[in-house]
Amino acid sequence: MKRTIYIFSDGELKRKDNTLYFETEEGKKYIPVENTQEIFVFGEVTINKRLLEFLTETEIIMHFFNYYGYYVGSYYPREHLNSGYMILKQAEHYLDNEKRMILAKKFVYGAVENIKKVLNYYALRGKAINEIVEKINEISKSIDTCTNTESLMAIEGNIREQYYYAFDHILDNEHFIFEGRTRQPPKNRLNALISFANSIIYTVVLSEIYHTHLDPRIGYLHSTNLRRFTLNLDVAEIFKPIIADRAIFSVINKGIIKKEHFEHKLDGIIMNEKGKQIFVQEMDEKLRSTLQHKNLNRHVSYRQLIRLELYKIQKHLIGEEEYQPFIMWW
Amino acid sequence: MHITGTLIWYYYICPREVWLMSRQLTPWQENPFIEIGRLISQESYKKEKKEIHLENIVIDLLKTEDENVVIGEVKKSSRFEKSAKMQLAFYLLKLKQFGVEATGQLLFPKEKKKITLTLTKELEEELEFTQSKIKEIVQKELPPPAKKIKFCSKCGYQEFCWS
Repeated sequence: MKRTIYIFSDGELKRKDNTLYFETEEGKKYIPVENTQEIFVFGEVTINKRLLEFLTETEIIMHFFNYYGYYVGSYYPREHLNSGYMILKQAEHYLDNEKRMILAKKFVYGAVENIKKVLNYYALRGKAINEIVEKINEISKSIDTCTNTESLMAIEGNIREQYYYAFDHILDNEHFIFEGRTRQPPKNRLNALISFANSIIYTVVLSEIYHTHLDPRIGYLHSTNLRRFTLNLDVAEIFKPIIADRAIFSVINKGIIKKEHFEHKLDGIIMNEKGKQIFVQEMDEKLRSTLQHKNLNRHVSYRQLIRLELYKIQKHLIGEEEYQPFIMWW
Repeated sequence: MHITGTLIWYYYICPREVWLMSRQLTPWQENPFIEIGRLISQESYKKEKKEIHLENIVIDLLKTEDENVVIGEVKKSSRFEKSAKMQLAFYLLKLKQFGVEATGQLLFPKEKKKITLTLTKELEEELEFTQSKIKEIVQKELPPPAKKIKFCSKCGYQEFCWS
């Protein structure tokens, strides 16, 4: 499996013949291109066209994040996975509202089931969250009868809000309290961490979409609009609880992310560079960790699980097999 | 529709691949076996190595022995010998349609094996039959359902079919 390179420092990314290196004040660090599938750039990095041409040759995708850890954009080598057929199928399932709702509901269903799995996992460990699970079940009842995505999104948002309140019970840490969801900018550390974690998942899913014939611009639950990619947001909903949120619990409960990893910026809170580095490493480890896949009968990483999810969606769009979202099985 | 050598190749392995390839739904390119195949094709026969593009077909190398035109195909292994033979025969047929009488050579550099091929009447008939079968598959709205066969374990579509 090819690796992801994360660049946090400032410097210049350069090409030399058939290799890449990152040059900082401290020196040069070579990057093994044959083993790299993508580069996440968080620091202030200078690049040039020669480098981009090389990235195209080696099919390495480069993602950029701004200072606050928000996804800015990607350099995606000229499309080599083109299928007009697939795009038409995607559009067909978006333009037909019935078909669109089928897929949109599946994403919400997958997200909610995984949220419940995560909560039940911690409920078993004696955390007082049964009330919250009850509430979520109550709200979920109205998913089936939804006829448009706006109401579906509202239900999903409602469920997630309840779910995030459970974090206070799971974390039990005075420095990381939920206090309601705030974004752009986050108003407290936990929100900053959630925003950052989500940002990474959105980008990882986007990256995986780029390895399939799906077009990330046509999503179903999130409205396809001119501003951004939506399919990755849809699929991310399923994996946020089991990858991003569990990584959050892990870093806080183990004490590897602390309050000193955050700083004030304008009227909000963001993670500082050290914090981002630590958290990204945790996410990367989580993504590379494996589990047994039922159909393939071998171990797959969480990252591969995302790709497999995309293949299932492709088959649904082709009309071959109804999409069933991945649900964690513990 | 345009039948390509690739579709002929896949027809003799798995009809589902034919359907997918016809819609540009290419297999997972990072599959190590596909990468090895590409590497072997790139590295072998560098001197005579040429890729000739003719309409919708791509021929691996072309050389003339005296006055005879010989086209060749370089393959990773002889595991798919039938596919390789029929694909080469297909290219010979295309050349014949352009008025070029050629013979073919199948090259398996890893096994140091070489097979010579001439376009016989039987091959031409088989190709005609195969092409109509391919059209049949491609015209269907749905792909042939996934069926576990011996090629699945190393196929670039494994994760797609069995996800």
